[in-house]
Amino acid sequence: MSKLSLALVLLFAACDGSKPTEETKQATPDPATMTPAAPPTKLTAEELAAAAQNVGLVPSPVETQKALEKAGISSGISKLVPERNFKLTVDNKDVVAVRTGVVLADALLTVKDAPKEKLIERMNLVKTGMAAVGAGADIQRTLDDLIARIQNDGVTRDNLIKELDELQGAVVPEIKYEAGDQVLPLIQAGSWLAGSNLVASAILASSKPEAGSALLRQPQVVEYFQRYVKVEGTTRAPSDVLTQLDGSLATLLEIAKKRAITIDDITVVKSTTDSVLSLL
Amino acid sequence: MHSALFSLFLSSAYADETTAESCLKNKVWESYGTGWALRTMATATLAQAEYKVYLVTLYAGTEYRVTACGDAELANADVVLYDSLGNQVLRDMSEDREPNLSYTPSSTDTFYIAVHATRLNNALGKGTIAMALTYK
Repeated sequence: MSKLSLALVLLFAACDGSKPTEETKQATPDPATMTPAAPPTKLTAEELAAAAQNVGLVPSPVETQKALEKAGISSGISKLVPERNFKLTVDNKDVVAVRTGVVLADALLTVKDAPKEKLIERMNLVKTGMAAVGAGADIQRTLDDLIARIQNDGVTRDNLIKELDELQGAVVPEIKYEAGDQVLPLIQAGSWLAGSNLVASAILASSKPEAGSALLRQPQVVEYFQRYVKVEGTTRAPSDVLTQLDGSLATLLEIAKKRAITIDDITVVKSTTDSVLSLL
Repeated sequence: MHSALFSLFLSSAYADETTAESCLKNKVWESYGTGWALRTMATATLAQAEYKVYLVTLYAGTEYRVTACGDAELANADVVLYDSLGNQVLRDMSEDREPNLSYTPSSTDTFYIAVHATRLNNALGKGTIAMALTYK
């Protein structure tokens, strides 16, 4: 594994927004809040920003696919997913988690039109990755069941999308209890990278740059990763690596903040996410 | 239909959690039948007038629903949606412990969901509120 790959993993490992039960905030004391029918106190932008937890900051791959469909971009995206030569059995669980997020996104985003054999191959990669990160027997059985039904044509692609969405939204988050808190945000990071890359590829292939403004304007997601590069990275990765990572994220952020994203911008998103993915 | 997923989902729902989470997971599962899908779920234990804030990215043109379930300690739980600048977009007006909101953004952006323990049955106690963001 390269230094940069290791650094990516270390940095993403810090990106856990999934501890929803710990810190709570109280509104400025106001007698009205103690009155039975009083509405909740209106919060200021500063109070919101200070209290916010990132539990839903990163959209799911299936949600992204639905947004692609609404933008008129849905056919043939399977062909845009590159072959990945990931090893999902390496010793470093963090590396496997990011890679698993990438292959999970590949499977979810292409489920509608991927050839059966390719879909099964991707699902088997997800299964291998989940096993390697210690996700437990329940999710393995669930994946086995899904793979068997794909193999036997026992599930329609539309229903499979639903089932994979349920898996991603309701079951995968539970793996933190067996695999550890760190695994889930790493999987999300991998899925986000692969999803952004595929969205950019699909927009370029369909020549519908107007969709970029609807699908790629997610500056706070980029800032979410950027903050950890700046805050956590200084003690976890070499400075030259940080410079490269920070540069990539700064490029993505600049584009994500634009009111209107152009075809040139989308080309840059594609090349930048290509570069980051090639490091894994 | 989704027997394996259903049993896994419910086994995790009832193994070690609050009544608020069980209530919410049942609502989310039922909503799958009408085309909704889950983005995220989170749980908070709050005293009266305390709140929890969640940061979410919402896609333009996608319909979203925020659903919450408070446990029996809650007399009134509320959810409020704010935009990234802190402007209030929507808030639930109900006086109960199972509030919900629906919203379809016109542009992709980041939003805040605030979940409030507005009123508890015992003003000095604590209650648990589970929140889910679903979409279709």
